[in-house]
Amino acid sequence: MNIRAIVSRPWIWGFAAAVLVWAIIMAISGQGGGQTVSLALSLAPYLVVVGLGQMLVITAGPGNIDVSVASIISLAGFVSVGVAASTGSATVGILAGIGVGVLVATISTVAILGLSVPPIIATLAAGLVASSVTLSLANGFTAVPDPGLRQLLNVRPAGIPVLAVAVAALTGLVIVLLRRTVYGRSLLAVGQNRRAAERAGIPVARVIATTYLVSGALAGLTGALLAAYIAPSADLGTRYLLDSVAVVVIGGTLISGGRAVPVGVWGAGLFFILLDGLVNLVGWSTAAQNLLKGGLVLFVLFLAGGGDRAGGTASRFRRRPRPAAATTTTTGDNTHG
Amino acid sequence: MSELLASALPSRARMRRTAPAVVSAVALAAMVAVCASLQSDVLSVGGLTLVLSATVPLVIAAQAQMTLMSVGDIDLGIGTFVGLVTVVSATTLVTSPLLGVLTLAGLIAAYAVLGALIHLRRVPSLIATLGASFVWLGLGLFILPTPGGSTPEWLASFGSWAPAGFPAPLLPILVVSLVVYLLSSRSGLGVRMRGLGSNPVALERAGMRPLASRVIAYTMAGALGVLSGLVLASQTGGGDVSSATSYQLMTVAAVILGGGSFFGGSAVPWGVAIGGVTLGLVSVVLSLLDVPSNMQSAVQGVIVLAVLAGRVVVGKVLR
Repeated sequence: MNIRAIVSRPWIWGFAAAVLVWAIIMAISGQGGGQTVSLALSLAPYLVVVGLGQMLVITAGPGNIDVSVASIISLAGFVSVGVAASTGSATVGILAGIGVGVLVATISTVAILGLSVPPIIATLAAGLVASSVTLSLANGFTAVPDPGLRQLLNVRPAGIPVLAVAVAALTGLVIVLLRRTVYGRSLLAVGQNRRAAERAGIPVARVIATTYLVSGALAGLTGALLAAYIAPSADLGTRYLLDSVAVVVIGGTLISGGRAVPVGVWGAGLFFILLDGLVNLVGWSTAAQNLLKGGLVLFVLFLAGGGDRAGGTASRFRRRPRPAAATTTTTGDNTHG
Repeated sequence: MSELLASALPSRARMRRTAPAVVSAVALAAMVAVCASLQSDVLSVGGLTLVLSATVPLVIAAQAQMTLMSVGDIDLGIGTFVGLVTVVSATTLVTSPLLGVLTLAGLIAAYAVLGALIHLRRVPSLIATLGASFVWLGLGLFILPTPGGSTPEWLASFGSWAPAGFPAPLLPILVVSLVVYLLSSRSGLGVRMRGLGSNPVALERAGMRPLASRVIAYTMAGALGVLSGLVLASQTGGGDVSSATSYQLMTVAAVILGGGSFFGGSAVPWGVAIGGVTLGLVSVVLSLLDVPSNMQSAVQGVIVLAVLAGRVVVGKVLR
């Protein structure tokens, strides 16, 4: 059986896994499944928003990853709550959170494009700066999240959280962005073959810069919302570094870049949230939770395989493939259609 | 700067290869100078021992990272792996040494299997090792839910070994770097690994199996990871699975500082040793300068960026 044929709808697997876990939860708890879905839908959007940003970055091609999202989320949480408390406007608070994300992403972008620092190091350094600021802010921080915003995030007409609908709309926006706009098309082209995109006249630097700034903005938004929903803390974003990458992979986005699957982020996000719920329900220790999570990521990864490039994983981390590798890359991309 | 280098080094190509390490070496010298000017005791044997000891496990873990980066992969799980090794050495290795040794050997084998799967299923190492890091963390928490345990006597005596005349931590750094240098730059194994990193198609056409190369690299990385964990355990005197989480990214930074590249094909063990020690010294300088602990990571990040920027400038001058 050809694996490639099954994975032709790559987003389906996240949803399938989510449904499976949901069924297990129902079987164990013996309660109606609606409550579980409603709860998952109110927790998943945060993961989906940051995951969408990570997806865009990973789509930009080999070596691109944003490891600053966790620190941005924590920092944006404090800043947005603080600003909202001092100005009295939750909207300004959210905008401040987004602004902080863009600011941190600007540091990474300048380092990546101006100093040719590899993205993983650039975003790591920017993240370190952000986490320092977070720790300074956290000292003696007293402001409380805006009650109006918290209420809004908890509104669930017919069991469907308002936030889930909003984030679904955002996902739709990202799909349109990727399919219909010059930026989206350019991003996919850069991710498939940076050199060819350069030769075709695509402003690669601008596309990459936009991508990291968008990822930063989305992480900032996540932080602002999450802080209002839970409470600002220095480790608010910690779990989102690994989780954001994991939902992108499980969601079916091509990890070597050039193919983004926004819908898949939803499926994988729901799957991860439901899995957390299941593990809590069963009462497993943190050790077992981590083993399960890691084992699942590896299982999905090795089952799906990395795709079609004959060059193996090595070619993926090279920005400029040499002639021999370049030919195999081209054939690989064709099969994606 | 370039004239200075030209007189010291033979060829332009060699220069281009070593320039990044030279920049890092300058950074290291500056770091030591700053340390010494702040606290003159640093230059004594005792001071150097104190300052360098924390960098030993980092340097060894960075050598593991370098091995994988030479085949074009990145290991994001090395931090938790080192943590898991400290846990095993603090528990199983103390209670039943044989089982402990077998467990450690099993961990190295797990790395080899991970490498084989990454190769066969053509998945990116970045994601696979990220997934594996959850597994190491889970295993570590399973064995030892809270930090603790003890250290085998032989390991503890290694940790407290203090010969007169030279700083003890220098020895493991030099020995490990030498062994990695011999393996990665002066042996057939090294040619295979670097060949896989720079041009896998050529490696295959030359009749060597890329799978074997990758498995060798992962086995070596696993062994170095175990060594790093043992050294860390000898210093901390116990096990903690999350004691080395910062290594995940610090090791990558050390390799890049030492002149390694993300695109595979180069092995820079001496540069990595310099890069690792430099990064370790940054935190020493910061604490000597009384930088508030909140701001330390920011300064660390900025210094990494500054050194990398220096590399870019030197690279442009040479080209």
